[in-house]
Amino acid sequence: MSPALPYPRFPGFDVMAQADHWDPVTRDLVESRLDPGTAASFFSLTERRAAGALVNRLTGQDDEQMVPVLPMLEARLAAGTTDGWHYQKLPHDADAWRQSLLHLDADAQARHGADFADCSPEEQNQLLEDLQGLGDDEWHGLWMHGIWSLWMRYVCAEFYSHPLAWQEIGFPGPAFPRGYKNIGLDRREGAEVPQAHPEQGSEPHA
Amino acid sequence: MSGVRERNASAWLLPADGTTTNHQLREDMRRYPTTDTVDAVVIGCGAGGGTMLQRLARAGWKVVGFDAGPFWDPDRDWVSDEAGSHQLFWNDPRVISGADPVPLGSNNSGRGVGGSMVHFAGYVPRFHPSDFQTHTLDGVGADWPIAYDDLEPYYGQIEGELPVAGEDWPWGRPHSYPHRPHPVGGNGEVFQRGANAIGLPTRVGPVAIANGRFGHRNHCIYRGFCLQGCKVNAKASPLITHIPDALDHGAEIRSDSMVTRIVTDEHTGKATGVEYVSDGVAHFQPADVVIVAGYSIETPRLLLNSASKRFPDGLCNDFDLVGRYLMVQGAPQTAGRMDQEVRMYKAPPPEVSCEEYYETDPTKPYKRGYSIQTVSPLPITWSEHLTAQGYWGTELRRRMSDYVHWASLGALCELLPLPGNRVTLDEQKDRHGLPVANMSYSMCDNDRQLLRAAQSTMEDVLNAAGASETVTIQRFAHLVGGARMATSERDGVVDADCRSFAVPNLYISDGSVLPTQGSANPALTIMSLAARAADRLARHG
Repeated sequence: MSPALPYPRFPGFDVMAQADHWDPVTRDLVESRLDPGTAASFFSLTERRAAGALVNRLTGQDDEQMVPVLPMLEARLAAGTTDGWHYQKLPHDADAWRQSLLHLDADAQARHGADFADCSPEEQNQLLEDLQGLGDDEWHGLWMHGIWSLWMRYVCAEFYSHPLAWQEIGFPGPAFPRGYKNIGLDRREGAEVPQAHPEQGSEPHA
Repeated sequence: MSGVRERNASAWLLPADGTTTNHQLREDMRRYPTTDTVDAVVIGCGAGGGTMLQRLARAGWKVVGFDAGPFWDPDRDWVSDEAGSHQLFWNDPRVISGADPVPLGSNNSGRGVGGSMVHFAGYVPRFHPSDFQTHTLDGVGADWPIAYDDLEPYYGQIEGELPVAGEDWPWGRPHSYPHRPHPVGGNGEVFQRGANAIGLPTRVGPVAIANGRFGHRNHCIYRGFCLQGCKVNAKASPLITHIPDALDHGAEIRSDSMVTRIVTDEHTGKATGVEYVSDGVAHFQPADVVIVAGYSIETPRLLLNSASKRFPDGLCNDFDLVGRYLMVQGAPQTAGRMDQEVRMYKAPPPEVSCEEYYETDPTKPYKRGYSIQTVSPLPITWSEHLTAQGYWGTELRRRMSDYVHWASLGALCELLPLPGNRVTLDEQKDRHGLPVANMSYSMCDNDRQLLRAAQSTMEDVLNAAGASETVTIQRFAHLVGGARMATSERDGVVDADCRSFAVPNLYISDGSVLPTQGSANPALTIMSLAARAADRLARHG
């Protein structure tokens, strides 16, 4: 698959180059995300294969992982760090994750005779597109829209907590204790980089 | 500001060396044995509880404040990071239900000393005079047992103590703020430009961020992390605006202590104190007065979990009102793509407001109204705006890479108080073995009309500012009601002084007492109501 972005939108922008200017508590936390390890902590082997493929598709990542979402996701689920609330009509987050991954494999088997992880990226994307299309309908007895938002909420919370993801979108990260001096339209700090090809609008193309 | 220091010296009790916590003050904190009957216990140390503690301690009361969460040290406990600030929210289990279930967490719950003001954006508008009589004026909602005039002096006091920065305010009852407005970032500029183009007035503020010297608080550095806890000590929360002065006047804060039950005497009908759990051990603290300030979910839950022979359906629940008339504001957010770089992560998210559509417009088919304010989502929150449009995968990544070009506005719509929107006890239990809260929410037709009108205005503003594209996310914000004040026990749980009708020495001092919510962020009104209730309690007992 082609990389998610056709070209770097903030060429030369380096978030971690500013880390020396961050407070130590924040710096330790952000640096810990650079190498979250691979210790399997929550999913079964089967679930983990499906989860790995799912988060890759949802974050537009191919085999080369810019952000290691899976170990971060698994660590969070293992720690039981939920957002507290859950919808009455859905299982608890951890159960909803496990059940939905099994259903994903079942769907892939029914359509392609293979587990979700063994389908091609195109097949995986098509399966997901169809699931998203269910909207508020039920999927194997689960409220599909609720499952879709649960996936996206967990996956994006990990992906966009990573400094390389910040770099991709031009966001400098903690900015503490230094703060910002140049606020306002079209104003930048020394370490900020202008976006390449702003005339291409909200979706860059080659 | 000398008047402020005389009634509340919190800002001068903070360290002057650039750190955020006065450790000596906490070490020297007075500690009351559980064998002593204190004058009052306050359950919850947020906007309502923190203010109450400071006022009663100043009046010479022996008070203990309980909080289920930690006594924060911003230097050590908080990070300048979105995902890393998860611990600031109430993450214990809760169930959400109804036709329009309301996700909780970051935008309407807090945990720890300072409460949800630790991570609130910082907007502190007053309510309008009409908010106190929507039933009489508009035939919807409820009339309060007090009027704007009763609260006005306390609004002034609290605005001085936070302190509040902003332009002279033309809406509601016109007033000024103690600190001048902050400079405006890219997001605020877009709002001003678009509003100006369609003839809509805006004002900078009102935000609880000191602008200039205020005690030993540090100046805002415009890093944009207001919603993650202010490591700078520039943005107000009771942790720095009221708790230091409370400690200095003999209050004790018992943090990491979850109150599990209010105990009442079957013969006298009075509250005798509270049961709480600390480090896994259960204790009882006797008190002459019990003040509940756990906010709109935990306050009703605690009352319902404190049932007794006299109160079989929950404390103060003789008329099935505890937990009812819970309100959230409809809070759609609309963002627009600008040619210029906005970089909305720079400068505080709370910048510019408009209350032009706050009240009922007789030419519209709906009652009451909405306000519009700048909001400035950081990357994780911004990804929610785009995933709400259905984007994922490669398309999501590409659109996220355009973050610096987007400006974002948020509306607060006055959803009406409805009896069916309520907190009840769920079958599920928490780690203390107590039933968790089930919060049910469903909107009425007036609510949905307001959401559409607010979105349409935000789109008009952004289009007039030059947006080439807009996206909207439907969401809710804030939380009030659930134990409302009224003139009689058949209409509410507490009276105009926040005293419960059913138990004469039991008070509720938090957002749950609000009968209506206006389209103003509730923090200032919660603090002002607490200051007023404390004043009357200390004077009349």
